[in-house]
Amino acid sequence: MNRAVITPQKPRVSQYGVDPKYITKRVSEYPEMTSIVLKDLFPDTPEVIYPGEKGVPAVREAAEKALEKVDMSMIKPGDSVNVCASHHGFTLLGGEPYAELLRAVRDVIVRKTGTENVRLRAGVGLRFRETEEYMKSFKLDEYYKGKVKGVAPVDEGIPIETEIGTLYGIKAVYDADWIVHVHNSDVREVHFHRQVDRAVKPFGMSYARIETRSTYHQNLGPRAANFVARSIFASEFVQKKFAFAAFLDMSPSGVVGVDADNDLYALNDRVTVGGCKNYGKIMTLLGEIDECIAALDFPCPVPYVFAAGVIYANFTGANMDLFDLDVPLPPYTWYTEAFYGKNGPLVKDVPPVNPAIKMAVHNYAWGGYPSAFFSEHIPTVVVGREQAEVMNRDPQNIEYMSCSVVADSLDAAMKFAYHTAKTDKVIIFDGAAGGINVSESLAKLLKEKAPQVNKLVDEELLPKWLRQRGVDPAIIQKS
Amino acid sequence: MKLITMVARIDEEKCTGCQTCVKVCPTLAIKMNGRKAKVDVEKCRGCGNCNQRCPSYAVTMEKLDKPYKVFVRIDDLPYEKIEGLCKKAKLNPEQIICYCTATRAEEAAAAILKGAVSPEEVSLLTGIRTGCKVECIQPVLRLLEANGVKPKRPEGGFQWYGRTPTAWEIPEEVKEKYNHRGFYFNEDIKLLDAVREAGKEGK
Ligand code: SF4
Ligand code: SF4
Repeated sequence: MNRAVITPQKPRVSQYGVDPKYITKRVSEYPEMTSIVLKDLFPDTPEVIYPGEKGVPAVREAAEKALEKVDMSMIKPGDSVNVCASHHGFTLLGGEPYAELLRAVRDVIVRKTGTENVRLRAGVGLRFRETEEYMKSFKLDEYYKGKVKGVAPVDEGIPIETEIGTLYGIKAVYDADWIVHVHNSDVREVHFHRQVDRAVKPFGMSYARIETRSTYHQNLGPRAANFVARSIFASEFVQKKFAFAAFLDMSPSGVVGVDADNDLYALNDRVTVGGCKNYGKIMTLLGEIDECIAALDFPCPVPYVFAAGVIYANFTGANMDLFDLDVPLPPYTWYTEAFYGKNGPLVKDVPPVNPAIKMAVHNYAWGGYPSAFFSEHIPTVVVGREQAEVMNRDPQNIEYMSCSVVADSLDAAMKFAYHTAKTDKVIIFDGAAGGINVSESLAKLLKEKAPQVNKLVDEELLPKWLRQRGVDPAIIQKS
Repeated sequence: MKLITMVARIDEEKCTGCQTCVKVCPTLAIKMNGRKAKVDVEKCRGCGNCNQRCPSYAVTMEKLDKPYKVFVRIDDLPYEKIEGLCKKAKLNPEQIICYCTATRAEEAAAAILKGAVSPEEVSLLTGIRTGCKVECIQPVLRLLEANGVKPKRPEGGFQWYGRTPTAWEIPEEVKEKYNHRGFYFNEDIKLLDAVREAGKEGK
């Protein structure tokens, strides 16, 4: 018998998406939908602590244990500490696990060091009020006794001298005696960072000014870009302030634990192994899909909607091995987008967007991230005029609707998609935890292909990916 | 090119005169009128920076009755000049340098060749930097520099701080030190060079 669907993430009130009242039906509600648990696809999927029986207290317990081992002796009573966070953490599993980690980090710092001057500085993507919304909804403003600030890349900057020249950070991130980096190991936009120095990335993004973020996306190159983050982190300025890092250790099926370290590079190596192994398998498997309708149904901008722990933008590049650094350019990054001239790609190395995606049904996804590339390359039907209006009002998405059609209801959109795409395989990006909601036909295909993908990643791809990143594959045994 | 569909409106009751909006507006469309901020609607490109950063939530974005396009023509300049400037900035004239508005390097180059001497003027004329507001400052600064212009940073503003390094400027010893960690510097330079040198037909 087919498994019941996994409950998708709820719509969220936000200025970047439609009012949840407009989300009257979810794609997973159709009778032809089922789910697959990741553990059934890949038996070596790590055990998770969340979601789980204990709920969020499991995250607290893991955090306290991990932080106990961290040296905080450099922080003296009365010192100021900026706990630096990023908005992405709040999109994982409803956001509560990351919020709990942020609470635990504050409590342990206060307990171990005696300082009360602990402030939360939460960075943003391209939606400058998003972390303010999260901090309020998780009551982090109260927990941090009002000492919270959402920091945006247009806020006052501070020059940082690095090995490659001057880069710019956000002043409010660094305006304390110490900084603590609280992040997660979710692979997120692996098409951009290519799992190279993933753990360091917020230093070039969430904590950085527009100049630095533009350097990453325009001045270096698709594989060298993340050096921007490393060069900032390695700068004397940051090293003098850096106390430790605490990470929500993620796998595609949930929170595996909490990892904390004074040595961010050591933590980075562990993140690299986990990211390549666990996420590498599901991404390689998704690359086996021959044809499908992709349903977007999650409270996030189009490229960031989730399925099986990975985001839609990764699926649009699943026709290539995003972890293989010998591949110069994934089918989607801003470098790729930039290299389409008026009449097509400027160079032969520009790969096509995943041709398996025959149509995208946008049942629920936000603006706040330039997404016209997706609707230009993938036939897209948006459900409801309200969602279309969100995109039309978004300065980043003026052209999104130019290439999309609007359906009055999800039923109409799905009917149109089935008729036009001529496939009954559906993959739903709705943030289902621990597994993936798909149509029965797609479930069958994924189950058939999983064993060979498992073997391929373990035996061939993983050792290659780790070698490319200078990480000794022996670390797998040790971890 | 950008289609302008929105305009910023300031609620004077809520405005405390903090000047944050003045400091972040990419087209310098906001000035202080006494202790209240005032938007020059002709210069507003509807980016929402002021709306997204005002600490008092005093700015709303309103839909324009008549949306209009801003763009700089490229066909009234010799294309070799545009191409020359782009290539000097190590860009292909056809490459997109602003993802929100799909503005190509050639249009920003044309704005500069026609006299724009600051990122603010380039934004006003082309709409670049008025989408996500974050990602396209570097190519604009590179193009201005390639034209021999040293733009002046708006006094006290946070609009931009400075040009930052490019792939071609990474010191050799840095490349050697980090190559083995997955940073494919030279391979990426090869790709960026190929894009810059590519002709119109992608050859
Ligand atoms: S940011 Fe807001 S409060 Fe400050 S001057 Fe502008 S409109 Fe007024
Ligand atoms: S251009 Fe942007 S920041 Fe300036 S007034 Fe208009 S919406 Fe506000």
